[in-house]
Amino acid sequence: MRYLMTHKPSETTPDEKLYAEMAEFVEELTAAGILLATGGLEAGGVRVTSSGDEITVTDGPFAEAKEAVAGFALVEVRSKEEAIELTRRFRRIVGDGESVIQQVFGP
Amino acid sequence: MTDVHRTIDAIWKLQSARIIAGITRMVHDVGLAEELAQDALVSALEQWPQSGVPDNPGAWLTAVAKRRAVDRIRRARRLGDKHGELARGLERQGPGQGSDQDPEQDPEQDDLLRLMFVSCHPVLPTEARVALTLKLLGGLTTGEIARAFLVGEARIARRVAAAKRTLAEERVPFELPRGPGLAARLSSVLEVVYLIFNEGYSATSGDDLVRPGLCLEALRLGRLLARLMPEEAEVHGLVALMEIQASRSAARTGPSGEPVLLHEQNRGRWDRLLIRRGFTAMLRAREIGGTPGPYVLQAAIAVCHARARTAEDTDWARIATLYEALARLLPTPVVQLNRAVALGMAHGPEAGLALADSLAGDPALRDYHLLPSVRGDLLARLGRLDEARLEFERAASLTGNAAERAHLRRRAAEIAAPAVPGPTLGQAVREFLERGELDAGTVRSYGQTLRRLRLALGDRTPLSSLTAGHVARVFAAAWDGTAAATWNRHRSAVRSFGAWASMGHLAAGIERRAGTRTRAGCIDPAQLEALWNRPDLPLRERTLWRLLHESAAGVTAVLSLNVEDLDLDDRRARAGGSWVSWRSGTARLLPDLVAGRTRGPLFLSHRRPGQARTPAPADLCPETGRRRLSYERAEYLFKQATRHLDPAGGGYTLRRLRPRA
Repeated sequence: MRYLMTHKPSETTPDEKLYAEMAEFVEELTAAGILLATGGLEAGGVRVTSSGDEITVTDGPFAEAKEAVAGFALVEVRSKEEAIELTRRFRRIVGDGESVIQQVFGP
Repeated sequence: MTDVHRTIDAIWKLQSARIIAGITRMVHDVGLAEELAQDALVSALEQWPQSGVPDNPGAWLTAVAKRRAVDRIRRARRLGDKHGELARGLERQGPGQGSDQDPEQDPEQDDLLRLMFVSCHPVLPTEARVALTLKLLGGLTTGEIARAFLVGEARIARRVAAAKRTLAEERVPFELPRGPGLAARLSSVLEVVYLIFNEGYSATSGDDLVRPGLCLEALRLGRLLARLMPEEAEVHGLVALMEIQASRSAARTGPSGEPVLLHEQNRGRWDRLLIRRGFTAMLRAREIGGTPGPYVLQAAIAVCHARARTAEDTDWARIATLYEALARLLPTPVVQLNRAVALGMAHGPEAGLALADSLAGDPALRDYHLLPSVRGDLLARLGRLDEARLEFERAASLTGNAAERAHLRRRAAEIAAPAVPGPTLGQAVREFLERGELDAGTVRSYGQTLRRLRLALGDRTPLSSLTAGHVARVFAAAWDGTAAATWNRHRSAVRSFGAWASMGHLAAGIERRAGTRTRAGCIDPAQLEALWNRPDLPLRERTLWRLLHESAAGVTAVLSLNVEDLDLDDRRARAGGSWVSWRSGTARLLPDLVAGRTRGPLFLSHRRPGQARTPAPADLCPETGRRRLSYERAEYLFKQATRHLDPAGGGYTLRRLRPRA
């Protein structure tokens, strides 16, 4: 099963220790064949909305930036519980904040 | 399962391999290490529901298991040298780090790699390697493994237990193979991983075409191995092959579970992410260079398919060339059959059919449904529709997979059946056997012969189209290596059938064989010498084979020996009314095999008999409760061990250990 884990921007300012722990975590999951893809996302971005025939393109940043996704990880695991367990470890490294886990279907 | 239990299960699956690997380095016994890790798991199951899951559950489990290991080692030390291995383990262990570690390597990763090599050790039968690897490295329970392979849980549990015992008995060291031994050991690991993948990908039995769980386990093992051994091209080749094959999982079954052939698949449903991972792995393999091995070549073929935007774009000429190279490394009939498909696509159906036809007599493909399926395809493209339909029907009757069978039947049905002149082979055989003039034994015996004819030639082949040439080819493929008596029995079945059907010529192409029993010659002395010196053979097997060779006694007599019958000083034992005597080779091994036992069967099975099958008391060891080794099992083990020596590929029978008189 594939799960997409996304997380919102964190209050904690990343320091050397966090970077090192994070690198180790990513390395471990990659080595174990679990982590398929991961990345950070720019704050803001471009918003495209459609309404009827009209398409509107707006450049960020947006007021509700805190709600936006700051990074993601795509993992391949055996169960939802495994995905939760990985997210738990991730949260312990990055500190206070929120992650969302969603199963990925397809292609 | 409650939420906490599910969480614990998930943690276990993610962490157990590392825990077991670390403990094995301390105690030098995989079975014991797993037991200690399981103890830690039990503690977690007892404590966590109340106390909550600890902050770092993996570290918690490791700490508990390590504490138990240290307790075990201290106790062993107090007990003196009996468990010397364990005591040494603690000395070598030091505080948290082994002294024999290469400082360049991450010790934890190294332990995982060691664990992989041990689980896939050639001393174990293949099935045991697969089960043990899934258990120790995948963290699967015996129940989960059993369900994945559609066998009983007890069977997997026995398989795992026997494997652990063998590893302990054979004192398989917990170390990384180096030097010339590495290639063979690595190929054993790759074989196990690919076997797991294939069992998941092309389920050989059952109703599902794919069991994704096993594919995922294999992929994870492969990716892990690629991280642990980044310098091995074949590892990356295997990973590339699996990633690309797995990328097609969704596309290869249709809405009702039927298989969709590669060239008919909707390529939009291929998983681009896995394809990209496959390409990356392939690039790594290419960067390492060297002569491409079988996995790199197979991956290169998979890459060709993955690159083609449409089926028509496929570079079949390149694929045919790659198969040719692969056939040089692995000259198996299955590879040749794939080459026939590629040739058929690259250079037209005649070219493919010529190669496929040349495989028709190969005994290894006798019951392989893909041969008639491929031939059917090529014949249909040549417009030889009647033959094609028969081939598809034959393929359908040979496959064990329900979805595949339905697909093949449909392909046969798409070609309209012509008016059949007279009865078909299937109808005639049924009529012949059921007419009530034959006794039950004859019906069974004739039935066996005729069933083979039906499978080989097709049930719906018109009887009148059968020729002596057809029959002779079936005989050559099916029974050429059998004893004359067997051959003649099948021959008389066909003669009787032919006479009944007024087709007396049917057996004309099969000569009666001389009835004198020709015993197969004994094994070449050089091969025997190599066999005696093989380090990976269990003691029981080595002793049995040497004893058979040195004593020239019958297999049954030797297996019937009891410990109390042995006269170790005079090197002889009473068996029934006669003596079995041996020489120094056996004499060296016997004391270890007896190992303090005073009575009961000399050669013991590794298993205790099941409740339902209690053997005679004389066949049971009063000390271990194990049963006497059976002729069948002993014969099987010898065949397995000598398969690579036997030019016919089947392995030698025990009788051939007897020296020529």
